[in-house]
Amino acid sequence: MEVLNPRSALLSNYEVLSLLRELESDHINRTRIALRIKKEEEATGGSSTIIPGAKHPSMVEISENVRTIQVEAIQYLSASHQPTSMQTPEGIARLTKALAQYDLTKAEKLQIVNLAPTQPVELYVIIEELEDRLGQSMDDILELVKSSLSEPVPQPQRFDSLKANGVEIEDTFPDADADADGDVDMEEQFDDTGEGAGIEGDLDVEED
Amino acid sequence: MYQLAILKDTTAIHPANFGIPPEQAIIAELNKKYANRVLHDLGLCICVFDLTEVGEGKVRYGDGCLWYKVIFRLVVFRPFISEVIVAKVKSSDEDSIRLSLGFFDDVYVPATYLPQPSAFDPNERAHFWLPDSELTKSQDLLDTPTAERMYIDSGEILRVRVEGDEFYDDEPGPPKALEGVQVEREARRAPYSIICSIAEQGLGPIAWWKGEPVTEGDTMIEADNEEG
Repeated sequence: MEVLNPRSALLSNYEVLSLLRELESDHINRTRIALRIKKEEEATGGSSTIIPGAKHPSMVEISENVRTIQVEAIQYLSASHQPTSMQTPEGIARLTKALAQYDLTKAEKLQIVNLAPTQPVELYVIIEELEDRLGQSMDDILELVKSSLSEPVPQPQRFDSLKANGVEIEDTFPDADADADGDVDMEEQFDDTGEGAGIEGDLDVEED
Repeated sequence: MYQLAILKDTTAIHPANFGIPPEQAIIAELNKKYANRVLHDLGLCICVFDLTEVGEGKVRYGDGCLWYKVIFRLVVFRPFISEVIVAKVKSSDEDSIRLSLGFFDDVYVPATYLPQPSAFDPNERAHFWLPDSELTKSQDLLDTPTAERMYIDSGEILRVRVEGDEFYDDEPGPPKALEGVQVEREARRAPYSIICSIAEQGLGPIAWWKGEPVTEGDTMIEADNEEG
């Protein structure tokens, strides 16, 4: 392993969150497909080509450490004290464009996007020597931030993603479960996944 | 908080995964290796962002794996110095407050970076700040009426400024003695820890700064001082 560039770019919280959400919905879809394939094969022939306990040959195995960090980071980034639930890609793009007219450093702009300050105190913390550098335009910046935030629509979204997580964790080792519990449990589990994944699909559309 | 790092590595794809498109298999393999791990002087790896360059898969003598040389971009958690982040109080002791981000727990606010004057209350197991007090000794501070104290309880959301970070390589060295001679090992240190400060206007529990009257300029800061 070799590190070519330790910091080639900075990412905003919103970008990381959407990346992780994408991975998560990918993962849910795959799990759903895997279960469907399995069920179909069992229904048609009974002689499954899949070795019990082994993964399907066309499936990517997601290891536990990836799931852990994904779930925990999504939880942190979508917590109620974060502005991510009110942000949209368009809003952020508009905000950064509007901030270009002020003499701010890259790091300061990034923090304005990440923290979305709506009160002067918050802006004082982010920008050094705020008064000398910006003087009266402070209020304009706060106004820009406010206008970049859309109405929070977090409630259904957050509930769904939590629900999806729940389904997720259950299904991390579908094969092991199926082996232990037999076919009846398998079917129930399949229903659960279908529900969760369907909602996740809706979520995707919203995000886009 | 997050940044992209470009890394180069050689990764092996097991024959069991030949049924998957190579790109997916490589990403899964890299994620397995890096996700949720601390790389020295780089930060905490979250996941692979994308693959920049993938060489041709080669089979080596000895195993059936396909070995790929890959250049890829990795999402890394490493807040830069002086960045302001939001974190939850996990626990407090006399020397410091420990904060948690959910996916990362080694964030500390040492007592010296608390707003002054402040002291640790052993009964509440929490630090408190006494705004506008002339007292400096923690003994005197602990004699003050509880109502005036501004506690930093666990579970509270804090806005903190990153003052520094530290990497510690926890590699076990070469075995120093033969078996039987057990060397007392010191407590495990976190491979990556972040030191933060809340000794500034606007930092500390978010609740302290909510609903301040929106005035501007110097009066603002004074108002903060009075009201905390």
